Amino acid sequence: MRITLAIDTSTSRTSVAIIEDGSILWSGHRDGATEHGPALPSLVQEGIKGFVIDEVVVGMGPGPFTGLRVGIAFAQSFALARGISVRGVCSLDAIAAQVNEKDFIVTVDARRKEVYWARYKDGVRVGEPAVNFPADVAGAPIHPNLYPDMKALVALAGNITEPMYLRRPDAVATADRQ
Amino acid sequence: MSEPLVLGIETSCDETAVGIVRGRALLANVIASSVEEHARFGGVVPEIASRAHLEAMQPTIKKALADAKVSLSDIDAIAVTAGPGLVGALLVGVGSAAGLAIGLDKPIYAVNHLAAHVSVDYLTHAQKIEPTIALLVSGGHSSLLQVNDITSSVVKLGQTIDDAAGEAFDKIARVMKLGFPGGPAIDALAKEGNATAIDFPRGLTTSNDWQTRPFDFSFSGLKTAVARYLESVPDYVRSDVAASFQESIVDVLMLKALAACKESGIDSLVIAGGVAANSRLRAVAAARCEKAGIALRIPAPSLCTDNGAMVASLGALMAAARREPSPVAFDADSSLPVTVVSLS
Repeated sequence: MRITLAIDTSTSRTSVAIIEDGSILWSGHRDGATEHGPALPSLVQEGIKGFVIDEVVVGMGPGPFTGLRVGIAFAQSFALARGISVRGVCSLDAIAAQVNEKDFIVTVDARRKEVYWARYKDGVRVGEPAVNFPADVAGAPIHPNLYPDMKALVALAGNITEPMYLRRPDAVATADRQ
Repeated sequence: MSEPLVLGIETSCDETAVGIVRGRALLANVIASSVEEHARFGGVVPEIASRAHLEAMQPTIKKALADAKVSLSDIDAIAVTAGPGLVGALLVGVGSAAGLAIGLDKPIYAVNHLAAHVSVDYLTHAQKIEPTIALLVSGGHSSLLQVNDITSSVVKLGQTIDDAAGEAFDKIARVMKLGFPGGPAIDALAKEGNATAIDFPRGLTTSNDWQTRPFDFSFSGLKTAVARYLESVPDYVRSDVAASFQESIVDVLMLKALAACKESGIDSLVIAGGVAANSRLRAVAAARCEKAGIALRIPAPSLCTDNGAMVASLGALMAAARREPSPVAFDADSSLPVTVVSLS
């Protein structure tokens, strides 16, 4: 009997769920690629009413950086405030969990005309997630624009502690600029 | 009820900062800066700053609690900078603060970065500040404000129309290869130089400017003038350039700040923001304010640059004044106007 607060902000959707032993006690979401900041606190405040939360699970991306960080920052601080643990998951894995195919690819928008993606065979991710132009992603049927399955997010929760950025920050050193 | 214990989070630029105050008593002020990661780029890179904020946030909160010798369950309210600043950077602080507030079931004050800079003086000086004129000068801002009540009423008198004062320091330091940030380097070099050696321009101080925009600043003309001087005088004296450039900025800041005091009839001036740590500005301000009969307040240098204590300080003042906390769901606002002291 363990009640988990599940959070994912790696896509244009802010997803929150309260999950106990694999069943959803409450779930809610709000769409909007720049809405994570206000959406997450209001969803969590509504969702946790009446529940004592035992742990937090959060999607660590890959996903657009600014929204992704809102979810991770919130999850870590909420866990600190409650004195409970927080565990991270690869968000693409929670997206792939809802696809019942032998061999497929899931993609999510990475901005700048690129996508974050990973390939799954027999229910297992093949290698690490990557970021590429859609034209360069091929080899299996592609499932774009899905959102994480929050039950799967909790079921797959592991020990990822770093955000999955997959890109270096854009910057040009002064010496290179001149 | 004892004075409110408030934890404040500041992430508007490149400092991940957490402060804890009890009323007007400073208990902790922890700052993790990513400035060294930005140095080779000659300025703050937003994405580098945002990543560093997330990485530093939890350790910084824990260090502040340890320094203050309090636990999170003792905290009465959370305060956080909602803007202005870099939106990606702000959102790390906002997300963290919301997580704490909801996790602890405590109120949150989403406050204005600029008002927080002014309010930090309450941690240094005991007497009531308001009403006062405030000169806020940093790498991102140069504003003249009239503060009627720091928790509710701040009026903007003027601001820079181009570069911020601290930005001008950074840009000139870059041209002179003094490193980043430029303020401390120019301040140090200027001590060996002659401030009257070169007559650099004072932006927006013609008689027409005094009539049409007396409290606005402009530093881009000065920047161009210094760059042109460096080109045309190859064997220039570095310390004289630094001193004369700095003198131009300090002179204009004080001319306009004192003019604002005079016009408003308010005989109090607070100088805050990172540039308030400049030794020449502090000296000139002290001398000119004494002459003009104006009570000058400048927070301790460690509280002038961005910090979490200033955010906690404003939160504590709002709690003490029984101001309504912010709604738990709010967005960071990169261009939050200074007249909005807190989000409601």
